Amino acid sequence: MFGYYISLALRSLRGTPVLSALMIAAIAVGVGASMTVLTLNYMMSQNALEHKDDVLYAVQLDSWDVNKAYDSPNELPRQITYRDAQALLRSDIPTRQVAMHRFGFTVELRDSPVLPFTASTRVTTRDFFSLFDVPFIYGGTWEKEADTSATQVVVLSKSTNDKLFSGENSVGKTISLNAEPFTVIGVIDHWQPAPNIHDLNNSHFAQSAKLFIPFGLHREYEIYSWGNTNGWNSERPDGYEGFLQGENIWIQYWVELSSSEQKGQYEDFLTAYIRGEKAQGRFERPLKFALSKPSEWLVLNEVLSDDNRVLGWVSLAFLLVCVINAVALLLAKFLRKAPEAGVRRALGASRSAIFTQHLIESAAIGMIGGIAGIFIAVLGISGIRHLAMGQMDTVATMDWVMMIAAVGLALIASLLAGFYPAWRISRTNPSIYLKTQ
Amino acid sequence: MLKMNNVRKSFRTDTIETHALRDFSLEVKEGEFVSVTGPSGSGKTTFLNIAGLLEPPTGGEYLLDGDDVSNLNDRQRSHLRNEKIGFIFQGFNLIPDLTLFDNIDVPLRYRGFSAKERRKRIEKVLEQVGLSARAKHLPAQLSGGQQQRIAIARALAGEPRFLLADEPTGNLDSLMARQVMELLEFINEWGTTIVMVTHDPELARRAHRNIQIVDGQVCDLRAVPEQPAAVSV
Amino acid sequence: MLELKPMLSALWRNKASALLIALQLALTLAIISNIVVIVQDRIEKIERPTGITVEDIIALNFMAIPQNYDMTGAIAADLELLRALPYVKDATVTNQVPLSQSGSAGTFYTQPNQEIGGENSNYYNTDPHFIDTLGLNLVAGRNFTDAEIQFSDPNESPEIAVALVTQQFAEKLYPGQDPIGKPLFDGSGSNPIEIIGVVERHLGAWVGWSNAGNVAFFPSIKNTQDTNYLIRTEPGKRDQVLKALVQKLSERDPQRVIKTKVLSEYVARSYARDNLMVKVLSIVAAMLSFIVALGIVGLTIFWINQRAKQIGVRRALGATRTNISRYFLLENSLIAGTGIAIGSAAALIVNQSMVRDYSQPELTLMPLAICALLVLLVSLAAALTPAIRAANISPATATRSV
Repeated sequence: MFGYYISLALRSLRGTPVLSALMIAAIAVGVGASMTVLTLNYMMSQNALEHKDDVLYAVQLDSWDVNKAYDSPNELPRQITYRDAQALLRSDIPTRQVAMHRFGFTVELRDSPVLPFTASTRVTTRDFFSLFDVPFIYGGTWEKEADTSATQVVVLSKSTNDKLFSGENSVGKTISLNAEPFTVIGVIDHWQPAPNIHDLNNSHFAQSAKLFIPFGLHREYEIYSWGNTNGWNSERPDGYEGFLQGENIWIQYWVELSSSEQKGQYEDFLTAYIRGEKAQGRFERPLKFALSKPSEWLVLNEVLSDDNRVLGWVSLAFLLVCVINAVALLLAKFLRKAPEAGVRRALGASRSAIFTQHLIESAAIGMIGGIAGIFIAVLGISGIRHLAMGQMDTVATMDWVMMIAAVGLALIASLLAGFYPAWRISRTNPSIYLKTQ
Repeated sequence: MLKMNNVRKSFRTDTIETHALRDFSLEVKEGEFVSVTGPSGSGKTTFLNIAGLLEPPTGGEYLLDGDDVSNLNDRQRSHLRNEKIGFIFQGFNLIPDLTLFDNIDVPLRYRGFSAKERRKRIEKVLEQVGLSARAKHLPAQLSGGQQQRIAIARALAGEPRFLLADEPTGNLDSLMARQVMELLEFINEWGTTIVMVTHDPELARRAHRNIQIVDGQVCDLRAVPEQPAAVSV
Repeated sequence: MLELKPMLSALWRNKASALLIALQLALTLAIISNIVVIVQDRIEKIERPTGITVEDIIALNFMAIPQNYDMTGAIAADLELLRALPYVKDATVTNQVPLSQSGSAGTFYTQPNQEIGGENSNYYNTDPHFIDTLGLNLVAGRNFTDAEIQFSDPNESPEIAVALVTQQFAEKLYPGQDPIGKPLFDGSGSNPIEIIGVVERHLGAWVGWSNAGNVAFFPSIKNTQDTNYLIRTEPGKRDQVLKALVQKLSERDPQRVIKTKVLSEYVARSYARDNLMVKVLSIVAAMLSFIVALGIVGLTIFWINQRAKQIGVRRALGATRTNISRYFLLENSLIAGTGIAIGSAAALIVNQSMVRDYSQPELTLMPLAICALLVLLVSLAAALTPAIRAANISPATATRSV
C-alpha cells in the first residue's frame, strides 16, 4: 500500500509540474537559508571541551578598579594578572592547571631553504596539552621546572613541523626563535578547536598556535602579550618587572578539578588568597571570583553574537513563511483533486487512507526540497566564508549531522505543511463531487 | 428584435478549421418565444453564444434591436449583455460562494444601479420566483428546481428585453421542469422575447416557433421534429 | 462599483487560503521591516567617513629577528628610505594600523590624579608625518615636530608633553571650549600633556567600538620587537609601490620578517561582519519577497482556475474585463491589507525584542510604512498577471455544460 501511495504521489507531482516545482523550490530555499545560518550558529556553539565540561574551569578573579566594575556579563575580568597567575600556580589542589597567553616569534631554521617567518606562539605551562587533550605525534611536554625557570624548549604544531622538517620526527633538533636557539621536545597532531575555547580573547575562530613555549621564559625575553592587555591602574614601577607585578590582566587561567570536593577546596583556597591580597591593599572590590565550565565560558564570552542570534531567528521565520506558502499551495493542489478523492472514497477508500496518501505526497515534496536545500546551504555557507574574509573559515563548514538535519528539517516542514491540507481533503464529503457536473 | 444574416462561426485548432455555423440566417420578432433544437454538435451552443454576445461571429451580420452588433468590442458587448440580455443556463451557474441575494445582485452591480434600486429589484424577482424566504441561503442549500428559479430571477432582475435559455430544464425532473417552463411562459406573456435551446421535443412544441439546427445551418423553420433528439450531456 | 460585502463573504468561504496568504504577508512585513532597519543601520556605519584616503595607503608590519634589535635606528633609516621611493607621498611609523581592529586605548582626564570621570580614547604613538600620510585635516593648532618625539623602551613610560586629538574627543573633554593649550592626563598620572592641535575626524583602530572617533596622537616611538609603517602613494600607484617595498626594505636590513597589506583590505575585514549582515539579510529579504510573490501567483492562478466557470458567468451577465481584473486585484488588496495590519503589529513587537535582547536599532513608523507599501506592491504585482488572465476567460465558458 505504501508503494502505491508513493507512486500516486509521484504521478500527482508530475501532473502539476509548475505547482510542484514551486513548492519544492519554496521548501528548498527555506531549508537552505535556515540551514546556512543554523549550521553557522551550531558550529559557533560547539564546545570542543564538552567531554571535560564537568572537570574544567576557567578562573576569573575580581582584581579590577574599585571605582568601576569590569565590563563583562558577570562583571569579572576575563583574564588575570601575571602575579596572581604565579600565586595560583603554587597551589597543588587542582589535578592540572594552565596559565597562558598568546605571543609571537620569528622562526628560522639554520641551513634550510625555508625563509624566516613569524609564528603565533602560546606561552603556557606544561599541563596545557593534557588539560586540553592535545595529542602528540612525537615527544611530549616540558618538565615542571620549565614553568618557573627559563628553559629554551619548544613544542611545534603539526603544520610548523611539516613546514620546517617535512613532517619528520624533529624532537631534539634546534630552531631559532627571535634568533635564539630552542630545542624541539615535541610535535602535536592537528588541533584546532572551533570556537577557540581555550583563548577567546583574540578572534573566536582564529587558527591555533604554531609554537608552544614554557611559562618560565617571560623575564628572559621580556615577553608581552599578543592578545588583549587591559589595565586600570597606571601607577606601577618602571621596567619589565614593574609590568609583571602591575595590575594589568593578560593571562588566561584554567584548572582541572575532578570532584566537587576538590572544587570546594579550590574555592576555599581562592577565597583565602584574595583575603590575603586584600590585607596587602589589592583586590579592593568586594570579594568575588568565578569558576566557569567550558560551556558557561562560551556563553560568558558571547561567542554566539547578537548578530548570529538575529540571523538565526530571521532564518527560522523565513522557513516559517516557506512552510505557510507550501500549506497554501498544497491546499490549492489537494482541493483541486477533491473530485478524484471523492471517487476514491466512493470506491472504498477510508478517510485515513486519503489522509495518508496526501501526507505522503507532501513528504515526497519535502524529501526533494530537503536534498535541494542541502545544496543551497552549501552554497550559502561558502558565500558566508567569502563575505567573512577568512574570519570564519574554521566554523563555516557543514558536517554530516547538519546534512541529515537539513533533510530532517525539510521533512518536518513539509509534513507540517501537508497536515492541514491532507486533513481537509480527507474530511470533504464525497457525495458533492459525485452528484452532477 | 434579433436578426442574423449569413452568420458564420469557425474554430481553428492547429490544423483543422471547424465550421460551427455556416450561412446562418434567422429572425426573431419582439415578444416571440422561439425554441431551438438540433442534434448534439449541430451548433446550438455556438448559436446561443453568438446570440447572447458571448462570442463574436467570424463573419456575417447580426442585428440586435436593429443595431449591428457583430463588430462591437468586448466592453460594448459586455454592456449590451448586461442591459438587454438575460441568461438562463443548463447548469444554473449560480456562484457557490454567494448567497441567493448576492447572486441576483451580480448583474445589477455591473449595471451600476444604486443600492436601493438593486434591493428593490432583487426583492421583486425573488417574490416572482417564490423564494423570498431563502434570500440569505447559499445555492448548495437549494434543490435543483429552486436553483434554476434563482437563476431565472437573476436573469430577470435587470429587466432584459431578450432572454436566452440554454437547456433550462436539462438537469431537472419532469415536475420541476414543468414549473420552470410555466415560469418562462409567464415571463414571455409580459413581453420578454425568449430564445430557448432544448433537446426536449415536448418543451420545444410549447414555444411559438421551433427552429432546428443541423450541421450549423437552420434546417426547418416551422415543423416541430417528430423524432426524439439525441441525448446530450 | 465596489462589491465589498459579497467579496468578503466569498473570501470567508475560502478563509483558509486567504488567511494563509495574509499570514505570509504579515510575517514578511514583520521580517522585512526589521531587516530594513538593521541593514540601514549597518550601511550608515560602513559609510561613516573615515577621514583618511584609504585607497592610497599601504600598511607594513615588520618583526625583527634578533632579540635586542635597534628598532629606533631601523625606523629612522627605513622612513628615510620609504619617503625617497618613487610615487611615495609620505610615510609614518605607528603603534597601530587605523581601522585594523587592533590597537591601544586608555582613559584620559582633564585634571591630574583622578580615578573617576575619565574619557576613553584610542591612541597612537607616531611621528609628525602621520597627518600627511593619512590625509587628516588639521582644523586647529599645529602638528608636532620631530624634536618633540619621545623615544622609549617598551616598559618605560615616556614623558609625553604634547598631543593631537580629534574634534570629537576634544568636544568630550572640553565641551564648548577651545581645547588648544588645555591639558590632558593619561590615567591617574600627574604629568600634563598639552593639546596642541585638533584634527577634523579619525575613526581609530576599532570601527565597532562605542567610542570610535575618540582618538589621541602622541609623538612617541617605542623600541619594540615589531612595528608598523603606513605609506601613502600617489593615487593609482599603490600596487606598483607595494611590489617594490618589501624588497627595498629587506635589502637595507634582512634581519626581519616583513608583511604588507593594503589599508583597504583592513577596512574591508573590519566591516566584514557588518557587510555579512547587510548581504545575508538583503538576500533573505529578496528571497522572502520572491517566495511570497510566487505563492500569491500560484494561489491566485489556482483560485481563478477554480472559479473559471463563475468568471464566465459574471462575464455573461455583463461584467467587463476590467470588472473582472479589478475584482481580483481588490480581493488581493483586502487580503494584503489584513496581512499588513497584522504584520505591522508583529513588526513592532518583534522589534521591541530585537532592541531589548539583541541591541539592534529601533523600528520607526516611516520605514515600517515604506515596507508596508512595498509588501502591498509586491502582492498586487503578483496578482496582476493572474488577474489579467482571469479577465481573458471567455464568457462562453458559462454555456459549456461540463
